[in-house]
Amino acid sequence: MGFEITWRKDVFSDAPQAGSAEKFGTLGINFRARKAANEEEWGAAMAALSCEVPAQQSAEAPTEKQ
Amino acid sequence: MNDVLREEPTLDVGTLRQAIQEEYAEVASHPHKGFHFHTGRPLARMLEYLDEWLDGISEPSIESFAGTGNPFSLGELRPGERVVDVGCGAGIDSLVAAKQVSPEGRVIGVDMTPSMLEKARQAAQEAGLKNVVEFREGYAEALPVDDGWADVVISNGVLNLMPDKDAALAEMSRVLKPRGRLQIGDILVQKAVPESAKRKIDLWTG
Repeated sequence: MGFEITWRKDVFSDAPQAGSAEKFGTLGINFRARKAANEEEWGAAMAALSCEVPAQQSAEAPTEKQ
Repeated sequence: MNDVLREEPTLDVGTLRQAIQEEYAEVASHPHKGFHFHTGRPLARMLEYLDEWLDGISEPSIESFAGTGNPFSLGELRPGERVVDVGCGAGIDSLVAAKQVSPEGRVIGVDMTPSMLEKARQAAQEAGLKNVVEFREGYAEALPVDDGWADVVISNGVLNLMPDKDAALAEMSRVLKPRGRLQIGDILVQKAVPESAKRKIDLWTG
């Protein structure tokens, strides 16, 4: 829970050997999170993450009832 | 027309672990050789480690430091806390943690590379912290630590080397107490890595 990236920086530039970091835009990062206090808190966090995708309207479906 | 379907070779976890182990054994035994990443005290300064954190930690441990971030910038550890350092290498972060949680706290550093663990144990002895920190051989995906033992899990430049990141994160969660903190330094890529490239061992180690 509470995932947060707090810092990012290019930490590979000018390394003694060339690597793949530049090719993929690799950055060093710091991140933090914490374990939920209990199942209830975890469940609430998961519920907050869920999203509903509205059903697409069919092109043939009427948009309004006559 | 003949369609020839060529199956991409799968990533062999044993081969990958061996390649990573060989790479980091080199960092342990020849830290000044020059790698595709920075090492040692210059790297620690780049990652904004305070000089005072490194006081009392022996140079052989510091010179094999190969982190990518700074777990301590996410909050100093409190005296008395229990800490697990996943992929502790030559022990620099475990020892910084040990200084912060001592004398009542405890630190367990876990690494899969024996030569790194040897350096870490020597450094703990020299720093007078061997009663605070213990180093254990093991994998991040199967941490040799009891359930719910830790207040904090730290790691630095290691998660990106795990082929099964879900398993590694699940293990970190398992060893944490409820409300336990995760303080991680690692990497992110800003450009997508093709699936075929993920199967190349050379890309994981370089």
